[in-house]
Amino acid sequence: MNKTKKQGKTKYLILSILGLTVFFGIWQAAVKLGWVSERSLKAPTDIIQTFIYKLTNKSPDGATLPTHFWFSLRLALSSFAIATIIGVPLGWFMGFYKKLDMLLNPIFEIVRPIPPIAWIPIVILTLGIGFQAKMFIIFVAAFVPNVINSYLGIRMTDMTLVNVAKTYGATDWEIFTTVCIPSSLNMVFTGIRLSLNASWTTLVAAEMLASTKGLGYMIQMGRTIIRPDIIIVGMFSIGITGALLNIILNLFEKKVAPWRYRD
Amino acid sequence: MEVRKNKIMVENLCKTYHTNSGDHEVLKDISFNVEENEFLVLLGPGRCGKTVLLNILAELEEQDSGKIIFDGGRPEMGNIGLVFQKYALFPWKTVMGNVEMSPKLKGVDKATRQANAQEYIDLVGLHGFEKHLPKQLSGGMKQRVGIARAYATEADIMLMDEPFGALDAQTRYSMEDAIINIWEKNKRTIVFVTNNVEEAIYLGDRIILLSSRPATIKKEYKVDLPRPRSYTDRAFLELRNEIVANTDLDV
Amino acid sequence: MDSKEVKKWYYVLPIISILMFIVLWIFLSIPADSMIPSPKETWLRFADICVHPISQAILIVHIWSSLRRVLIAFAFAIFLGVLLGVGLGWSKTFYSIFDPVFELLRPIPPIAWIPLIILWCGIGELPKIIIVFIGSFVSIVLNTYAGIKDIDPLIINAGKVLGANKRQLLFEVALPATIPAILAGIRTALSSGWMCVVAAEMIAARQGVGFLIVQGQQSGDTALIVACMLVIGVVSMLMSTFLSKMEGVLCPWKFGKTK
Repeated sequence: MNKTKKQGKTKYLILSILGLTVFFGIWQAAVKLGWVSERSLKAPTDIIQTFIYKLTNKSPDGATLPTHFWFSLRLALSSFAIATIIGVPLGWFMGFYKKLDMLLNPIFEIVRPIPPIAWIPIVILTLGIGFQAKMFIIFVAAFVPNVINSYLGIRMTDMTLVNVAKTYGATDWEIFTTVCIPSSLNMVFTGIRLSLNASWTTLVAAEMLASTKGLGYMIQMGRTIIRPDIIIVGMFSIGITGALLNIILNLFEKKVAPWRYRD
Repeated sequence: MEVRKNKIMVENLCKTYHTNSGDHEVLKDISFNVEENEFLVLLGPGRCGKTVLLNILAELEEQDSGKIIFDGGRPEMGNIGLVFQKYALFPWKTVMGNVEMSPKLKGVDKATRQANAQEYIDLVGLHGFEKHLPKQLSGGMKQRVGIARAYATEADIMLMDEPFGALDAQTRYSMEDAIINIWEKNKRTIVFVTNNVEEAIYLGDRIILLSSRPATIKKEYKVDLPRPRSYTDRAFLELRNEIVANTDLDV
Repeated sequence: MDSKEVKKWYYVLPIISILMFIVLWIFLSIPADSMIPSPKETWLRFADICVHPISQAILIVHIWSSLRRVLIAFAFAIFLGVLLGVGLGWSKTFYSIFDPVFELLRPIPPIAWIPLIILWCGIGELPKIIIVFIGSFVSIVLNTYAGIKDIDPLIINAGKVLGANKRQLLFEVALPATIPAILAGIRTALSSGWMCVVAAEMIAARQGVGFLIVQGQQSGDTALIVACMLVIGVVSMLMSTFLSKMEGVLCPWKFGKTK
């Protein structure tokens, strides 16, 4: 029985490799056999060359890939960090103090449905296209999921636990810090994850519309100068960085919130 | 005493699970017979492998070794009734939709299958609830749907996996009466699994007592008490004490 | 006592809240060099674009051209997304072949596709629809896949013992059980799709709410920008409300009001 299981695994691994091979094979063939113009798409092998070239060269878009990458990462992470530091406690307080909730929720409901991207024009006009302007836009995107999830986390606290704490004579503040906050952490982490993804996505949009550096700027330039290889190198850099950020968050969560991963 | 023919013959059934934490022997050399139209109860401590045994009978799992012989050959899928402890109703279907599912899957035309389903819905006492969704029903009513759905397969063998295990005590008593009532009106061969001694004696023609993991057969009891039975009847209590003394403690 | 007090605040606080918002807004718009339009200017600009066309279209036409792009893209995204999601969740072989490619492309934010898609398709309707499609497709696939994987094995067993063959098990049991997950995917897809259409229109379009907002930016017409932001928010809210209604209709066993 174990043997057949192993054979199954090998079969699926081969199929996976096959899937990827066919994907890249068709891509390579499509370009090299001239099914699509090189002005629209470059072959995977050319993409790799461009990637290696861009590691150390500034042309044609003004900065090396590591420079773009570092610029974007710094921007996204600093906005994300601020949004988390402010957003999570705000969500907690809104969830626990009914009056604060009623006071802030209506404003939140007005602002929330506006996609962060729609903030870009007004921010450009008031704050320009500098680092702060983009930070503000990404902050808006990252802030919302943090607040909502921390808020819901508190609201979903098991009332039995709260009542147990009450019978032990806990004060409101003690209930808040020892019962509500710990039991909200699951939702908080979901919020942080969504927030990280939102910051990375919004970063790309912000850099495409208002920047002179960064990965988003790089792919936008790639379009202007008709260099599909630059665009695709940029796209994969964005995608891989996003995936890596998620993996790092996973590792962090496993350390800080191991119960999320225990079966 | 009438001699009834055997409906199912289970011979030397064994099953072991191989997991990362080692091998777990679940069933060890299980052999028993089920007579036609008999109400047979498999009684065993919690998690002793009763569900696995039923799943093997229902063809949802395969045994490692041993044989199961059915009178008239192995029934095809859909020709054995199975009632689940956690109901396993289709939440998107109404009571009628759930009960008519099996004939529908077999391609029976709508009018026929709904007329049949209606009969079983009436039989389990849910007349008037045909259009309700499972989430609108209480636990006891949900399990009545489960029983009606199993009956509607028109199978002559009904397997019931601790069907009243998730119900509160009051509902449980009334469901025990209900199942006897249903069975007496519409006789089928029932293999009923439970971990509750009283329930076993209250319901069964015969009780097969299983040991703790791996499940083996400890003893067989014939229950000759007339129905309707009473929990406080002297013979009932004597049998209960005898079985309890013989039961493995469930840790 | 406590709840009575809360009830009293229940009416007062939200009103204070909105007033606070408006006062803050007015305050920000007062300085002479402020780029923020006052609420009144914004309202007048909004009333104006409702009747006077910008780029030959009044507001409602712009909203409709954005919405149409979303709807067309959605039709494809739901159909293909459910198909792929079910395939990935249902067949291990299918999963092995297609999942690596999907995983490779999935982390790329839909917005990052915009330059490549524009390079390929120009700036007509098609590229915008494709971008919205990418933006909504991924979350529908992921939710459908998770939905299939999350089906209670008991439900599948129930289907099997009732005699369902493989095809029936998929169509009569697994798919209906996955509908709530698919609807959840559509909900995520809707907000992501709406964001994508705004982004795509901001980068290259001649009509649509995203175009309007950029138009405001280029002409320094901040009242137009803020009016558009609010319009975009309101449309997004309305779509979400509509979807909630749809959930109740399509999936009463999950979202219906009866207890």
